[in-house]
Amino acid sequence: MIKETARMSASKADLNRKIFDWLGIAPFMLFALMFLVVPTLYLVTGAFQNAAGEWTLENIRGLFTDKILASFSISIRISLASALGGALIGFLMSWALVLGGLPSWVRSLVLTFCGVASNFAGVPLAFAFLATLGRMGLVTLLLRDWFGINLYATGFNLLSFLGLTLTYMYFQIPLMVLIVTPAIDGLRKEWREAAEILGANIFQYWTKVALPILFPSIMGSFLLLFANAFGAIATAYALTGSSLNIVPIQLYAQIRGDVLHNANLGYALAFGMIVITGISNVIYIFLRMRAERWQK
Amino acid sequence: MIHHTRRLLSLSTAVLVASSSLAFAEPSAELIAAAKAEGKLTTIALPHSWCGYGDVIAGFKAKYGLEINELNPDAGSGDEIEAIKANKGNTGDQAPDVIDVGLSFGPSAKAEGLIQPYKVSTWDSIPAEAKDADGYWYGDYYGVMSFLVNKDLVKESPKDWADLLKPEFANMVALSGDPRTGNQPIVAVFAAGLSAAGGDIAKAGEAGLNFFKELNEKGNFVPVTGKAAPFAQGTTPIIAAWDYNALSWGDSLKGNPPFEVIVPSSGVVAGVYVQAISAFAPHPNAAKLWMEYLYSDEGQLGWLKGYCHPIRFNDLAANGKIPKELLDKLPPAEGYAKAIFPTLDEQATFKKTITEGWDKVVGAAVQ
Amino acid sequence: MKTNKILAWFVVAFGATYFIVPLLATFEFSLRMRRGEYSFDAYATVFSDVSFRESFSYSIAMAIATIAFGTLLVVPTAYWVRLRLPQMRPVVEFITLMPLVIPAIVLVFGYLRLYNSSSMIPFTGTTRGTDLLFLFALMTLSLPYTYRSIDASMRAIDVATLTEAAQSLGASWTTILFKCIFPNVISGVLSGAFITFAIVIGEFTIPSLLNRPAFGPYLQLIGANRAYEPPALAMIAFAMTWLSMGAIQLLSRFTISAPAKP
Repeated sequence: MIKETARMSASKADLNRKIFDWLGIAPFMLFALMFLVVPTLYLVTGAFQNAAGEWTLENIRGLFTDKILASFSISIRISLASALGGALIGFLMSWALVLGGLPSWVRSLVLTFCGVASNFAGVPLAFAFLATLGRMGLVTLLLRDWFGINLYATGFNLLSFLGLTLTYMYFQIPLMVLIVTPAIDGLRKEWREAAEILGANIFQYWTKVALPILFPSIMGSFLLLFANAFGAIATAYALTGSSLNIVPIQLYAQIRGDVLHNANLGYALAFGMIVITGISNVIYIFLRMRAERWQK
Repeated sequence: MIHHTRRLLSLSTAVLVASSSLAFAEPSAELIAAAKAEGKLTTIALPHSWCGYGDVIAGFKAKYGLEINELNPDAGSGDEIEAIKANKGNTGDQAPDVIDVGLSFGPSAKAEGLIQPYKVSTWDSIPAEAKDADGYWYGDYYGVMSFLVNKDLVKESPKDWADLLKPEFANMVALSGDPRTGNQPIVAVFAAGLSAAGGDIAKAGEAGLNFFKELNEKGNFVPVTGKAAPFAQGTTPIIAAWDYNALSWGDSLKGNPPFEVIVPSSGVVAGVYVQAISAFAPHPNAAKLWMEYLYSDEGQLGWLKGYCHPIRFNDLAANGKIPKELLDKLPPAEGYAKAIFPTLDEQATFKKTITEGWDKVVGAAVQ
Repeated sequence: MKTNKILAWFVVAFGATYFIVPLLATFEFSLRMRRGEYSFDAYATVFSDVSFRESFSYSIAMAIATIAFGTLLVVPTAYWVRLRLPQMRPVVEFITLMPLVIPAIVLVFGYLRLYNSSSMIPFTGTTRGTDLLFLFALMTLSLPYTYRSIDASMRAIDVATLTEAAQSLGASWTTILFKCIFPNVISGVLSGAFITFAIVIGEFTIPSLLNRPAFGPYLQLIGANRAYEPPALAMIAFAMTWLSMGAIQLLSRFTISAPAKP
């Protein structure tokens, strides 16, 4: 009898604890529900409706036309390219700041600068790059006048995939630096010392100890960079205007455009973007679970 | 019995006299009072340098003492329609009272039930082709497609669309926006096509796309959106834009760089914009008063100061109400005499052709 | 370690060049307002504009509020998920990634539909209410960045052990959060704060559609029709945002004691 009561009160305590657990996350969930999930639910429903409000898969089918598939393809490629570039260079800079033995004012300066630069996008950024590497840009003209090098004759063109990726990296690199620096901060000195005691050289330390530990953070940041580039429109629009066909531009054309104006197709496009982000998130979580197997 | 008829006669005469004078009268005192009771007007998409709206708005505020709440000046016609839709049932400051949109948006907004009818007191002097018979929408001003040229970088200005294909204009020609969504760039493509197709409106859409395809292949086309900043910086030395925009951008540069606005010798296309009152306007009387002001001589001339041709231009000119200095500031009148005003159906056709064909024909996938 | 330092300096110098040159080009162009000579005319025009000062101060106020409330929302959540609900981690992470791909315009249209003056929660009915809605929207926008950096920071500390230790010493939940966890994730909080600050200052779509006098719409307005003022404005915004972040950094150094280094 006592055992049963004990068990009952134990499971009651369990239940209480479970409720308490879920309660702890309630404010966030409520916030997300009110200001993120519900407002965009009508986007999801809009993707499956036509202009008259009836349910249809027409918009989803419309996603698989050549033009839109091409825009998804180019969007994904640019996002991957700038995320990769941003992640690599950003990681290097982060390493330099935390473990490079530099004076501490450099770290503060660079981190705060990264904060500003991570959001320096859109028209000002496009203009800055046009003013630098455009045909009448400062660097282009300097190269021509001082060094006799004609930049555009080499085939370089700012208004291209490479140019756009270069421009995107202006806000991708700082973002990576800001997010990975706290993670590198967390690398304990003891681990480095322990590795050295066991006879590992720098290369082995990094490949066998540090990088595996940092892997989840790096992957998470890479995913963030990818999604960041994927959803970015202002910069691409301002730089390549009407010649580049990325998904957000298509989306905007449908939702706010003067003429194409099929809002439901626009919602379907947004839905497609959410799906792609969801898939990349799943991949990331899978990779992270494998990386964290040895932890805890 | 006799004095009944006499009273009837005098009453009807009085009404007749009153109604004929109404056509040229100020807005009624009740309207002004009702508008003042509402206290403010919410506008959208009215940049101060577009058609001199800055002064027009200031003039309205000074005359009637109402507050004007200006929403997103950079909005396009599509944005304005979306703003009305999104704010159904919202009487807060985010809901626009009045809109100023491209001609083709008038009928579609009426069909979607987004606007309410109102006939201003100067209704009769608005040309019939530029207004809705029931009073839902009405033309306000027009301009023609022209070239804005940076005289620092361009020695000899192009005189016509065909000139733009010449090799000396390599990497110079830009549109003022995205031809898949913006009214201004779409009409630019149409105008180029009209010139190339020798005036054949039906073929102009297709011809315009092919023109820009050639422009792009020759390397003359710059896909950057042409505005004051890239124009001055040198990325877009030649921009195809409405004459009033070209003139006011040029003015704002104050000679740095020097500019020229050219109306092309063929393919002159006029674009009419229309006013309408939102069906869900939180301040309907203020909206009506605003319309009365815009269509009064004062309002119309205010637009002319901003280089736009007001819709009552012919009426004002016939009555000698236009000051000579204003006329002198505009490009020569011969250019405007050739202007084509595409009908609604023609607009719908070429818009469809251009927006759907742009990517396929011109927008080479950026590698 | 010598090669380390040289390499580090090289990386920073390389990065600095890439970042500074476009800014230099923008600056150079902004000086060209007066024909034929360099001058600060464009800057004079900007600074004398009352709307510039008003919109910038409004945006700074919103930025600080967003950082404060955003941190207040995210730190406990990240902590709780790590401690008690690890199975919810993928869900929470997915939610925090959403603001990146959902266009702001869709979000605002959703808000206008749900919270307009004739609905049950009429945020837009009053100016203060709209400000509040704007705040929530900004918090949503900055969620991906704040969550990611705070989570990265939290990964480095052992939340379970810290909590147990604090509890065994009799600490309440709030004490644990504010005295034990928070100081240890300050690096992540700061990173998130910097990004949030820049986002709020530059945000255009939301204040434009909600009709709030923020800096983003002001920037857009100037950029639409002027030639030399927009780059000048971009430089000013850049510099002032950077200075504000420096101020935040300094403040944090003085108010929060650094955790003991292991």
